[in-house]
Amino acid sequence: MDAKYLVSPSDRILVTGSSGFIGAKVVETVLEYGFTNVRCFVRPSSDLSRLKEILGRSQRGDGVELVCGDLLSRNDCEKAADGVSVIYHLAAGFDKSFAGAFMNSALATRNLMEAFMQHGEPKRFVNVSSFAVYSNLKLKRGAVLDESCPLEDAPQERYDAYGFGKLKQEELVEEYGNKHKLSYVILRPGTVFGPGKRDLSGRIGIDTFGFFIQVGGSNLLPLTFVDNCAEAVVLSGLKAGVDGEIFNVVDDQLLTSGQFLRAYKKRVKPFFSVRIPYALAYWVCALWEKYSKWSKGQLPPAFNRRRCAAEWKGNRYSNRKLRERLGWRPRVNLDRALAAFLAQFQSQES
Amino acid sequence: MLRIAIVGCGKIADQHVQAISRVPDCQIVSVCDREFLMARQLGERAGVSHCFSDLGELLKTTSPNVVHITTPPQSHYLLARQCLESGSHVYLEKPFTVTASEAKTLLQLAETRGLKITAGHNYQFTPEMLEMRRLIEQGFLGGKPVHLESYYSYDLGDATYVAPLLGNRSHWVRQLPGQLLHNVISHGIARLAEFLDDGLVEITASAHQSDRLRNLGGEEVLDELRVMIRDKSGTTAFFCFSTQIQPGLSEFRVCGPLNSILVDQVAGSLIRNQKRACKSYLTFFLPPLWSAMEHLRNGRRNILNFLGRKLYQDSGMTELVRRFYQSIRDGTPLPIPHREILLTARVMDEIFSRIYSGSEVAEKEQTEFSVV
Repeated sequence: MDAKYLVSPSDRILVTGSSGFIGAKVVETVLEYGFTNVRCFVRPSSDLSRLKEILGRSQRGDGVELVCGDLLSRNDCEKAADGVSVIYHLAAGFDKSFAGAFMNSALATRNLMEAFMQHGEPKRFVNVSSFAVYSNLKLKRGAVLDESCPLEDAPQERYDAYGFGKLKQEELVEEYGNKHKLSYVILRPGTVFGPGKRDLSGRIGIDTFGFFIQVGGSNLLPLTFVDNCAEAVVLSGLKAGVDGEIFNVVDDQLLTSGQFLRAYKKRVKPFFSVRIPYALAYWVCALWEKYSKWSKGQLPPAFNRRRCAAEWKGNRYSNRKLRERLGWRPRVNLDRALAAFLAQFQSQES
Repeated sequence: MLRIAIVGCGKIADQHVQAISRVPDCQIVSVCDREFLMARQLGERAGVSHCFSDLGELLKTTSPNVVHITTPPQSHYLLARQCLESGSHVYLEKPFTVTASEAKTLLQLAETRGLKITAGHNYQFTPEMLEMRRLIEQGFLGGKPVHLESYYSYDLGDATYVAPLLGNRSHWVRQLPGQLLHNVISHGIARLAEFLDDGLVEITASAHQSDRLRNLGGEEVLDELRVMIRDKSGTTAFFCFSTQIQPGLSEFRVCGPLNSILVDQVAGSLIRNQKRACKSYLTFFLPPLWSAMEHLRNGRRNILNFLGRKLYQDSGMTELVRRFYQSIRDGTPLPIPHREILLTARVMDEIFSRIYSGSEVAEKEQTEFSVV
């Protein structure tokens, strides 16, 4: 283990959302790094199969402590944060309502940070956020979207409760960092893919209307393979000198949505899809948004210009900061990552 | 211009904000939540600058005409009382209160103070329910209802609601005397309360846990409920709540001595079943065609209402809020009579006393019914 890391192998590490798609991989990576005092926080209703499989595989898996609770409960947060040096906060709220998303993202994070400061031995709070916090409405097609890009200033207009929750969560983390000198790092992963996640990204298209509509096709996807993403998450909790920094997480090699869909259809299953150009999608979204406003919400603004731009406009993405400041390198290259993603479908069929 | 406040800034508060925004001559002036950050997030999104974590402060500072209370039911009684005592009218989300005795006290307090109070039984005001009421007033049934049937289903597939409460014994839903049922059946019971007498002579209720809920780790929570009721005048009612029935069901059938009505609140439709004599094989030919005509009529009406911006996904709440505010402004009768609110609460108490033995609520209230 690198001597320049903030913590030693015996320091206690907490991973929230540890039974999730990225969280379980973060636990695996933390154990690979040699940490021996790892605590996983899970909800009572969590499906633990993924996490248990990982713990079963790892040599240090037996020593991992499972703490069950709800981050909305301050008591549970205190239990989780007791004696902890680094928190990898991956628990996320996927509630469709804005209030629910706020509660499960922002409030839960506030509770956790307060417990960390009072009952932990805080060295770093890693807040895993999302690309959903960005607004590329005013960014040109093909322009680079990096950490300096503006954040969404109208999440309600974008009708994105998840993005709203993540935005507010980031605001709180920054507030606690500034006011209470809590050392933090914010990570914003792009589209995380890998075995264990079977859905096609909404950045490829939509299947709301009974068949798949591919929007655009030449738009680059901000992909990051789950192993590569977990590596970035873990490093951000260990590296010194990056307090208060924000990192986008995308892999070196990316695919366009058209390339991804073709590979999916070829290796998983062929299905009918209709492709519409981005300009047409934008026009339809603008019309939908207008009707929604005019009719006072008779149709929810599920399709709108902000969402259209965020999902399908097509920007380029940079991981330069991640490489330079964290020393991150992808563990798995694109070919192997894509093969691993697609293999999960074949193994299930067989 | 009515000054509105919202207390409790969780998920349902968003629905209230939207419904209020569609009603003319009113404005949300303040929001409140015990957790100030929740109040602030709603305030930011709804364009409300006065955000509070203390109801007393809100009432003192912003003097709202109407307070919408959208908190968990356990807090309804105390919050509503505080609002009424400070002179505000109250819209109280369902279930109105935890017990019927609390409901009775609140209704009496509102009457004493000359203030208005309503319950969030918004499904009573969807377009098809309004049409049903119109038909009944015109005498379509041919007399007092003979039999009522109310079906209400809830899909456990929505894990965002069920998972947290199943995993946590201290979740507020688990603390209600009727648990999951307590939080969801009032819409279905309110339909019956509208047509039943206060004097109920029989209530039988049975409940069990579905395999589906058991597999989700349901512990002691019950999710399948069947109830039979008979009132003094002989009107009978059946209520069914289920988490298993697919496709989702939200139906109300009113059977009269002459004709009957079936309201489907999932499809937003109303079917008139009229007594019409058919001879011989026409019995098999004509009634299905008449039914088809009814369905066509509903489809046409819904499309026209949609195009005319009269049909919303939550039309019922908008209409209830509009009627409630109108009642406050004009001094006209309330959209939901106190009698119905109280009867709904009493029937719920009775049901929970039967399915959850040892319930304190039930023991207190049981004497109010002469139940067989």
